[in-house]
Amino acid sequence: MHEVSIAQSLLKIAVDNCKKEGYKGIEIIKVRIGRASGIMPDALSFAFDAVKIGTIAEKAALNIDEIPVSGFCESCKSSFTVEEAYVLSCPKCGDFLIRIETGHELHVYEMDVF
Amino acid sequence: MKVKVVTHILEANDRIAAENKKLFKESGVYVINLMSAPGAGKTSLIEKTIQEISGKLKIGVIEGDIAGSDDARRIANLHIHVVQINTGGACHLDANMISEVLGDLPLNELDLLIIENVGNLVCPAEFKVGENIKVMLLSIAEGDDKPLKYPLMFQESSALILNKMDLLPYTNASIDKIRKNSLSLNPKLKIFEVSCRTGEGIGKWVKWLQSLIK
Repeated sequence: MHEVSIAQSLLKIAVDNCKKEGYKGIEIIKVRIGRASGIMPDALSFAFDAVKIGTIAEKAALNIDEIPVSGFCESCKSSFTVEEAYVLSCPKCGDFLIRIETGHELHVYEMDVF
Repeated sequence: MKVKVVTHILEANDRIAAENKKLFKESGVYVINLMSAPGAGKTSLIEKTIQEISGKLKIGVIEGDIAGSDDARRIANLHIHVVQINTGGACHLDANMISEVLGDLPLNELDLLIIENVGNLVCPAEFKVGENIKVMLLSIAEGDDKPLKYPLMFQESSALILNKMDLLPYTNASIDKIRKNSLSLNPKLKIFEVSCRTGEGIGKWVKWLQSLIK
């Protein structure tokens, strides 16, 4: 539901960067969204299309790179990646001594500008 | 042409949250961000907490709701400094909304500021507002499946208050299951069982809260 706030924030980051560097407009904005970040990609795309109107990113496409939750188990010393938005214990050995490494991303990382 | 940006999308919010936090620290006020689903009993918990410790600590409250000021009126009846924020549709409070109302509170006089977030188990957990800790409330009638359905809030909170314990005989909720799954998500989570209606368990929560405020 707060995808609108997220869309506004990412739009501002992109537009500010674009203007600062003296470009005229934005064609593509690439973002990385972790599965554990609580953001729904479809809702974010929908919100982005609404908030971009009237800005230099009006024609921009939003490319969302979804990052799965992954981590490392200190007990069995193995890395894992899961489909779910959270992980309670090591999917291999079941131990709770795990370190989450990816899945919480919420970043703008690249844009195509003109 | 490709341009690298690499900026956290919530950077602007986090920056304002850090400013709020600095101001709170300088003013000597401890800040709680209180979150739950609608109807879990956030305002009732605040009322009970105020009744229990207002003689010992100076408390202020910020009420966040999509619309209306019923909650702020309830708190004002207890002669407490309170500010109502209407988010006008937004499902959470963010750092900027808090920053804008801080001038309306006598921060230097307060020991504790409770920020009641918009009723929602998802979005408020994502936005820092400058708080010392996040506290979440789950009424047991909501069901024992909530920790695994809404993991982020359980992971982000320092304390979980299980409210409406007086309703336990009328629900199928298993407190053991809530505890086990919440602690799996967040082993450091402090859990309290209370009933804001009967007052049961409020003392323990308030004692813990007081231990945090020096």
